[in-house]
Amino acid sequence: MRQLPLPVRLRDFALFETFEAGPNGAVVALLAAPAQAAPAAWVWGPPASGKSHLLQAACAAHAGAAYLPAAELWPGGPTTLAGWEDRSLVCLDDVDRLLGQRDWEVALFGLFNALWERGGCLVVSATTAPGAAGFVLPDLASRLAWGGVFRLEPLADDDRVAALRKRARHRGLELPEDVARYLLRRLPRDMRALCDWLDRLDTASLAAGRRLTMPFVREVIAAGRPERPVAPS
Amino acid sequence: MAAVWHQCLNRLRSELSPDQFNTYVAPLQAISEEGSLRLLAPNPYVVNWLQQHCLGRIRELARDNGGSAGPLEVTLDVGTRGLPAEAAAVSLPVMVSAPPGPPRSEFLSGARLNPDFTFESFVEGKSNQLARAGAFQVAENPGGSYNPLFLYGGVGLGKTHLMHAIGNRILERKPGARVAYVHSERFVSDMVRALQNNRMDEFKRSYRSLNALLIDDIQFFAGKDRSQEEFFHTFNALFEERQQIVLSCDRYPKEVDGLEDRLKTRFGWGLTVAIEAPELETSVAILMKKASLEGVTLPSEVAFLIAKRIRSNVRELEGALRRVIATSRFLDREITIEFAKKALGDLLSLQDRLVTIDNIQKTVAQYYKIRVADLMSKRRNRAVARPRQIAMALAKELTERSYPEIGDAFGGKDHTTVLHACKRIRDLRESDTRVREDYANLLRTLTA
Repeated sequence: MRQLPLPVRLRDFALFETFEAGPNGAVVALLAAPAQAAPAAWVWGPPASGKSHLLQAACAAHAGAAYLPAAELWPGGPTTLAGWEDRSLVCLDDVDRLLGQRDWEVALFGLFNALWERGGCLVVSATTAPGAAGFVLPDLASRLAWGGVFRLEPLADDDRVAALRKRARHRGLELPEDVARYLLRRLPRDMRALCDWLDRLDTASLAAGRRLTMPFVREVIAAGRPERPVAPS
Repeated sequence: MAAVWHQCLNRLRSELSPDQFNTYVAPLQAISEEGSLRLLAPNPYVVNWLQQHCLGRIRELARDNGGSAGPLEVTLDVGTRGLPAEAAAVSLPVMVSAPPGPPRSEFLSGARLNPDFTFESFVEGKSNQLARAGAFQVAENPGGSYNPLFLYGGVGLGKTHLMHAIGNRILERKPGARVAYVHSERFVSDMVRALQNNRMDEFKRSYRSLNALLIDDIQFFAGKDRSQEEFFHTFNALFEERQQIVLSCDRYPKEVDGLEDRLKTRFGWGLTVAIEAPELETSVAILMKKASLEGVTLPSEVAFLIAKRIRSNVRELEGALRRVIATSRFLDREITIEFAKKALGDLLSLQDRLVTIDNIQKTVAQYYKIRVADLMSKRRNRAVARPRQIAMALAKELTERSYPEIGDAFGGKDHTTVLHACKRIRDLRESDTRVREDYANLLRTLTA
């Protein structure tokens, strides 16, 4: 096991370099230069479509940025949205969790206005387009969509292979293309699950001192499968 | 001591993910004091996160790097350098320029009016002509006969733009003027904080010494009695001094529920003007103007395509344009009609899917508080016939269905009935304010 320096489990650093844009090049380019998206942009897509990765990457690339996952803000109540107005970019992940509740929406409105006054940008992610997000305040819905509404399109298989290899390379692993394609055929296909498997392969390869060859990967997957919960028949 | 923190930062930068570092660590302000390092965070959420994830490590690093100075005590609080936490929390309205003479309050700095929102960048059309003219008069002659100026209309139609334009123009003419643009939500939250921190005098002073107060979305005051009370006094103070007040709201002042009557009355003292959804031609002109400001060539047929599909509001139009521009920049492709259709694929199909005759009938029935069955019936009394005609005209405008198809969908009416309805509504929208407003509201609801 590798030693973690901090009590938080660090995921692969979410950077633009490890994000496979596939058909989503335009929104990736926009978030890489968020001044163009100011005052706000809305990024949406189903779970595991890369929203968090993209927002974290945008935050990692800009020194004055903040990345705020709604789930972590939630317990602290709407006042957690105060004190971010001096940032040049605020990325609010899963904003739809906060919508439909007046006090949260009012606080979010306050954050938007404060950022807007200062020329900052608010990028939010959600699982739906703004029209279906259940806003209480239509004025807020309209402002959050001001800089454009972008749907993250699912990656094609070739893009997934490229994404996996890119991620592996970033952590110093060589993942041959045929092995990546094999993973795609044998494992759950969403990128989050695939990346979790990449984690396990990384650990296994380190422990065994072996490279990610086809026979080794087959072995790890075969060994890994029974550990997963089995659905009741 | 500063070197210790610098070394901590370097280590943390390599140990945390870059987004965590930027979010939680980079904004910390470090103050070195005798044998201790005091860290100031912008809000309690950051303090909490650091306590849970990182403070132990910071203490460890400070101890290891302390050198001959011995062990350092590290404390973490909410605040800003030079200001106690509670002072930093109260932010009063933002002045655009420093008031001449007395020293600036420490709060009156930071934000400004958006310089892009001027009268020159405002696209005028039939829908917003009156509002623009009123706003321009106010900007040329603040505190004059149009006081207050009350702008009302739906979401994203340009109220905020006009307010900023007034502010910018007043400043252009009189550079030392004290102008503040404040969203009502901020007025309320600032007042609450000022009350909590016993700083009401300062709050009052700063609002009541303005030359122009531009206050947006006053429907946010609904049901907030204490804020209304305070705003009432602010209003009176400014009005008596003949300082300009500009208010915006999503509806006519008398129709705001939960707003005190004495405020409603005062809001009507000056000029009250509506701003409506732009007609197609204005939408097109807005798109062309925005595109040219971005340095992009937008063919007019593409502007028509976008404007025809997105009828709800100007912000949404701008959003769609931003997306087309972002895609074209990224792919380095010229913007053609095919390109725009592809770039806006889901947006356009979503609009297509949502607006069906069925949907129109339900929305119209709900709006006029009648039954959908009434729309399909043969009844001819005004309470039913007018909504039916409006629904037919909306169906013609928003769907691709033909006159006979629309007739069929309304309980088997003849196509000439639909034709007549469309013409009648077109005429009434010119001559009858009520019909014009109803039609605009329905159009907005259906395309939002």
